[in-house]
Amino acid sequence: MVKFTINGEAKSVEADPAMPILWAVREQLGLNGTKFGCGAALCGACTVHLDGQPVRSCSTPIGEAEGRAITTIEGIAGPEGELTKVQQAWISEQVPQCGYCQSGQIMAATALLRDNPRPSDADIDAAMAGNICRCGTYVRIRHAIKVAAGIEPARAAPGAAPLSGGAKA
Amino acid sequence: MMHRFALVAIGALALAACGSKVEPPVEQIVLREPGQPAGAAPAAATDLVAAGKAAFAVCATCHAVEAGKASGIGPNLNGVVGRKAGALADFGYSAALKQSGLTWTETELDAFIANPSGKVPGTSMAAGAVSDAERRKAIVAYLASLTP
Amino acid sequence: MNDMAKPPRSRAAKWTRRGFIGAGALAGGALIVGVAVRPGNPVGKLGPIVAGGEGEQLVNSWVKIGADNVVTAIVPHCEMGQGAHSVLAQMLADELDADWSLVRVMQAPADGNYVVTDTARGFVAPGTLDAPDWLEPTWNGLFTKISQLGDVMITGGSSSIRTTGQRTMRIAGAAARQMLIAAAAREWGVAAAEIVTANSTLSHQASGKSAPYAQFAAAAAEEDMPQTPALKAPKDYRLMGTDAPRTDIPEKVTGAAQFGIDATVPGQKLTYAAVRKVPVPGTRIASMKADVAKTMPGVLQILNMGDFLAVVADSYWQAQQALNTVEAEYTRSESAIRSTADQFAAFAAALDQAGDQGGKELVGKGDVAGALSVSAKTFTAEYRAPYLAHAPLEPMNATVWVRDGKCEIWTSTQVPLMARSAAAKAIGLSADDVTMHQPTLGGGFGRRLESDYVVMAARIGLATGYPVKMIWSREEDTQKGLFRCADLSRFTGGIDAKGRLVAWNNVFTQHNDPAEACDAPFYDVPHKSIRVAEAELHLPFAAFRSVDHSQQAFFVECFIDEAAHAAGRDPVEFRLAMLGNSPRHKAVLEKVAAMSGWGTKPAAGRGRGVALVQSFGTIVAEVVEVDMSQGKPRLTQVWCAADPGFAMNPDGFRNQMEGGIVFGLTAALHGEITLKDGAVEQGNFNDYPMLRIDECPPIAVEIINADPVHLGGAGEPGLPPIAPALANAIFAASGKRIRELPIAKHFA
Repeated sequence: MVKFTINGEAKSVEADPAMPILWAVREQLGLNGTKFGCGAALCGACTVHLDGQPVRSCSTPIGEAEGRAITTIEGIAGPEGELTKVQQAWISEQVPQCGYCQSGQIMAATALLRDNPRPSDADIDAAMAGNICRCGTYVRIRHAIKVAAGIEPARAAPGAAPLSGGAKA
Repeated sequence: MMHRFALVAIGALALAACGSKVEPPVEQIVLREPGQPAGAAPAAATDLVAAGKAAFAVCATCHAVEAGKASGIGPNLNGVVGRKAGALADFGYSAALKQSGLTWTETELDAFIANPSGKVPGTSMAAGAVSDAERRKAIVAYLASLTP
Repeated sequence: MNDMAKPPRSRAAKWTRRGFIGAGALAGGALIVGVAVRPGNPVGKLGPIVAGGEGEQLVNSWVKIGADNVVTAIVPHCEMGQGAHSVLAQMLADELDADWSLVRVMQAPADGNYVVTDTARGFVAPGTLDAPDWLEPTWNGLFTKISQLGDVMITGGSSSIRTTGQRTMRIAGAAARQMLIAAAAREWGVAAAEIVTANSTLSHQASGKSAPYAQFAAAAAEEDMPQTPALKAPKDYRLMGTDAPRTDIPEKVTGAAQFGIDATVPGQKLTYAAVRKVPVPGTRIASMKADVAKTMPGVLQILNMGDFLAVVADSYWQAQQALNTVEAEYTRSESAIRSTADQFAAFAAALDQAGDQGGKELVGKGDVAGALSVSAKTFTAEYRAPYLAHAPLEPMNATVWVRDGKCEIWTSTQVPLMARSAAAKAIGLSADDVTMHQPTLGGGFGRRLESDYVVMAARIGLATGYPVKMIWSREEDTQKGLFRCADLSRFTGGIDAKGRLVAWNNVFTQHNDPAEACDAPFYDVPHKSIRVAEAELHLPFAAFRSVDHSQQAFFVECFIDEAAHAAGRDPVEFRLAMLGNSPRHKAVLEKVAAMSGWGTKPAAGRGRGVALVQSFGTIVAEVVEVDMSQGKPRLTQVWCAADPGFAMNPDGFRNQMEGGIVFGLTAALHGEITLKDGAVEQGNFNDYPMLRIDECPPIAVEIINADPVHLGGAGEPGLPPIAPALANAIFAASGKRIRELPIAKHFA
């Protein structure tokens, strides 16, 4: 029996303490937002926070969580479901494509902005390089982090494209 | 043009008409039905090395421990105790680890596993920190038991 | 050509092999007309299947309206990140004059009523798309039947918007609008022509009457369905051509989106299967030793399926841990190809045998041999592209429950009906006894056009009889799937005294889809011979994002660049001079040149490279700037200009260009699957690396909407130009000519 809090709630699971947090969270607690991508801490899709620090849940045993606090993508919004600035920026900048990596991206970006509210491009690259996006949304991830940080403005409301001559990037 | 449609349609019909060929398992070992109790869980190992081996399961995704086996995502850890950090020729270590000057004594391993990127900033070991001192001790004992 | 040379192709591959050329497929300038709604209006039959919610009314096959005035577009394509769900709904909603904030999307069920008739027509017979109105019901009926027989419910070929969108969804929206108007006109006793629609509301000015669509939805479903409703002219578009926000994004930032791997079986506790296929294609398991696995916690069953091993356990972790201990021996492969060197030797042998004139000619024009003999300058080049794995971030998986002669499947797939038939066949059921659930896809890229993994799960499910979720490890996904083929391509070019490319002689070994990917007919080159000399592939083939364009664009656009340098001319100026008959291509190239400041001198150590490709109906030019001052390539900026005819959602289109570029950069810089002892050597993202954010350059995209009728695709066309543009940039910066991918290994 391993006891911990997850998204603010006290929980326990009957599991081999060597089982990765990822599988305990997905299979036993039904929280499927945390994703399996590589199983070897190489892609970041499984990123959760353990006592606030981003960790790769596919390679961190649930035994490590004993007495500690896990936060998953399902637990970052406010008590009434208010989205965080990072989540809002992910929507306003239309970041996701398939979306499979985005829980991990958002968890990594959330930790980055908490520790470094005005990150430079180099800071963003360093903090986010552990998270693979196979669809290739990196340009938007970088921009959305800056939007969430208030460094760059959110995009204007959608508008009509001209029929010829090209829409501006 | 019509020729092509006809071919496609015939091809589709031919596929639909193919008889089923069910390939059953060559071998099926049934140990238990789901929902049935799994039997007594194996007693927690009292022996430190055995406990370390159990705790090492999550590490084994990346680290081979069999003598002579090629390194994988992480370096082979057979004989790691007493080895200089970054010593295996078949693994691409981070510059940080290669230049760390460490020799893996049991104490150094314990400190590294407690906080890899704290001990060697820039290490490519992105996961695997073990916070529990007892479990670390067991894992280190297990690693120390692995010799070629 | 011996029959062995062509590996067996999947059903999906048969359909996608003609990635049709959008531009020119329809009659020039005409508005689109057609009957894609479905002959007759089967709302009575379909209603219970797709509109079972309280107060929901199906108006025709593709749209339902709720009592809350929510309009739901029923979309027959899958959502895998390309944004098709949302944009197809956007197109339907525009013709329907629906309020976008009240539009939802529903995945159409895997059911013969939802085959993608217009995609099939686009692939097989684009010529029928400009049939006169009176013939439309015939063509539509015929292709619906053919599609049903062929299980053609397929997402691929960058085709959703230009086929299903332009025809099915728009026509369904327009027809539904006319039916709502007719119903209101009847009830209000006014002329239909006097009723106007906007924001999901009907109104009649003279009488002051007004009603939400919901009020007339049921009556509308009883109205005759117009077979060829008038569609909006571009000047009347309200949603089409706008950056309407995607409907699927909010749930993708909260973790709520349901992917295949997240499937649950209502009321049932899941079990989990880990699998290990034979390491060498075509071999079998000779023996299995599972003594240790039998004693491991959580294990329920251990299966030797002949071509793969499976361990079923209470948890996926337990299943995988136990599987890791299972030892197996395998039969010997009959393939003579054991290594990457063997594979390329087979290619080289085929090309040697073909020589300067042999092989099957795909494009022949003028007299190449004659032109080469009188050229002022000739040059040769041999290019090489490796095998690639698709590596969608969601590994292959499927959840199945086989019981009582029925089967339910939950899986991420681009081909739900083909997957259903394949699974049914594998477990001895009829397709009607198999129900498919279609969660969203964690990436497809062509890998999920194949049903191999669904069949494996179904076979496991048949053996267990209880619900099982099979998940491939990343290593299985990298090693045991189907692959973008490797290839070798040889060119001879001839330059005349005026510095023009006059002769283009080319032969390669792999010719799949689209058939025209090996050519760039927009360049005016008088003498051309493009040939294929087929050679055996060791690894099974699957369409990879942009398919043949993914390697052919590298070959062709590097060759053109080498020709420009051989002629001593600027690569952009050299290409523009060959585009006299291709004004749209010229405009795209001029646009990217202007964006990138092509004429200006780059900073020291930097160089720019360009490439121009038309694929899937969209013309794309890209310029890469690369910094070689540290001795290896660092991308500083990518510029992309694209003409898709008309971008239905410009921001979504840009997102696809950005994604295609990053996907193409992974392939160009890092992607390589190699063989050792007949098996794939790479396993995970350590040795099969993906581009990461710290390598990703800024990307600027501009769109040219040059033709609102003849649309091109979005999902694939961004990819092909990036590898040649990068290789050409490296040459410009350093003088080093890259003819073999991936690029990173030249600088290791």
